[in-house]
Amino acid sequence: MPSFSIQDFMPIFPAAILAVGAMALLLSEAFLVSVPHASASRGYQAVIGVITAAFAGTVAFHNAFEDPRVVLQGFAVLDPFSSFVTVVVAVTVGLAVLLSAGFLKHRNAERGEFYALMLFAAAGMSLLALSAEFITLFVNLEVLSVATYALTAYLRRGTRPAEAGFKYFILGAFSGALLLYGAALLYGATGTTKLAGMAEVLRAASSGDKAWLVYCGMVLVATGFAFKVAAVPFHMWTPDVYEGAPTPVTALMSAGVKAAAFVALIRVFVALAPGLGPQVPFVLFGGLALLTMVAGNLMALPQRNVKRMLAYSSVAHAGYVLLGVTALFAPAAGTEGHGMGVLSASPLLGQVPASAHADIYKAILFYLLGYAVTTIGSFGVLAALERREDETRGTTWDLDRFAGLAHSKPGWAIAMAACMLSLGGIPPTVGFMGKLLVFRAAVDAGLLGLAIVGVLTSAAAAYYYLRVVVYMFMRNAAEGAAVPERHWQTDVALAVATAGVILLGILPGPVTAWLTQATMLALR
Amino acid sequence: MQLVPTQHYLILAAVLFCLGMLGVLVRRNALVVFMCVELMLNAANLTFLAFARERGDVTGHLSAFFIIAVAAAEAAVGLAIVIAVFRSRGTVNIDELHTMKH
Repeated sequence: MPSFSIQDFMPIFPAAILAVGAMALLLSEAFLVSVPHASASRGYQAVIGVITAAFAGTVAFHNAFEDPRVVLQGFAVLDPFSSFVTVVVAVTVGLAVLLSAGFLKHRNAERGEFYALMLFAAAGMSLLALSAEFITLFVNLEVLSVATYALTAYLRRGTRPAEAGFKYFILGAFSGALLLYGAALLYGATGTTKLAGMAEVLRAASSGDKAWLVYCGMVLVATGFAFKVAAVPFHMWTPDVYEGAPTPVTALMSAGVKAAAFVALIRVFVALAPGLGPQVPFVLFGGLALLTMVAGNLMALPQRNVKRMLAYSSVAHAGYVLLGVTALFAPAAGTEGHGMGVLSASPLLGQVPASAHADIYKAILFYLLGYAVTTIGSFGVLAALERREDETRGTTWDLDRFAGLAHSKPGWAIAMAACMLSLGGIPPTVGFMGKLLVFRAAVDAGLLGLAIVGVLTSAAAAYYYLRVVVYMFMRNAAEGAAVPERHWQTDVALAVATAGVILLGILPGPVTAWLTQATMLALR
Repeated sequence: MQLVPTQHYLILAAVLFCLGMLGVLVRRNALVVFMCVELMLNAANLTFLAFARERGDVTGHLSAFFIIAVAAAEAAVGLAIVIAVFRSRGTVNIDELHTMKH
């Protein structure tokens, strides 16, 4: 009879808090609406959402100082890696809830279930980050996906939300099925679904007559994750879904869903790679990183629709994180894996030291944090600028909407400018520090070719990010352009995000120093 | 009594999986596409069960239960979205879902 101690449940506390907050919001909708005048103002619902997120984030922050270990009989792990991502998710969902408050109020669509779905999605993300078993992982992936499908199709105006929701649903379910079939094949080869148990027997299984099961399984699992993180060539759903979803939901998807999916991907492949030989994940992720960095940026270049541009930019940023992931599996010099063109590890730099892995984890986590804050800020400005009348037209997010913003709304223009500089990787912003860390980690791992591609593509990307800044500060607004309303919740969220973008860019020291000593995985 | 060998189940599952994948890629009716995704999930189920029977292990059986539950939840939300699509444009043909092409 297995017995669990309170220690086993520590990692799931943040998710439990988020789920309880979500249920409280659902109940508030059921009971408080019947009270006279209560339905007139639902402002308290956003406050409940933010408090829940803050509470969950605090608990996750506390968990981040625990030693890494496997809990719940190998079904989950408690390590700083997953706890840090839970903190990022909590910050993301808190800011997304604040953005939604103004956005929904403007559309008379403020309802408890919207915030509840956001919190359920966040609970799924938090649990996904700490799953160490394939079925747990699949269930949590679906918890977060089903909540985001519903959020995408939440607004019932025009044809866009339903269309975006449908596309997201079909491709999400498709990728979930690929991942699951891959997991079934791996189960067949190893006889277990726990990552720790799989890692033990995988070396024997991958050289025996079940090798094809292992390799097919790994490729299917990698493909499933590639859909979730929107890596090229599995990105085709991203622009339509990001454009059609309500803007605060897009912010949550591009920051939170992506971070959680990356952490799950890293956990699975770091645990299983030793049994395969690192070449397989190295070639897989190296190829994906190369394609994603190049194609994501190229497709963003001609976009005049800023929301769609940010969607492609989110694809491109997945490429930079994948570059970090590739560095984790870079073959040490003098072993197999050379002679693959731009993917090859440079022999000049010698053996990859063990400490390099800590640097790579640090770089990936810092990048995910920086990208989350930045993307929330930029979609936040976009959400604030949107006007309800335009929803059925395609011009809502045209660059012209940003013309003259520096005069009409200087605060928003500064927030947007900081976020654009950060996405473009220009100092003094968090995006610059994140890129610096990732590229340095890649070079240290010997991935000179890929790092050069990364630097060149991010230089090209500066064009389309700076174009938005030019429109805001150097063009005059069109005659008779309506000035959008302000909501204090939106202003608070934008202020927090902008402060994060700039402060983390100027003083990354405390975060990176902590990440250096704390980025340990419980399974490797 | 002669048992059906595991390979037969695996081949059936692989065929179902490929049919489902093909269906998602080529069929144009939203409901049929959705059924094809369910087919893929059930192929994964069958694979789990075949291996579980071969090894006499309960993990695979448990996995199948979880997958069925998740697929049901997904179907509920998915069908609701299909209805929303039908209400907003009167068709569920996915070739006509192209409001956002640029």
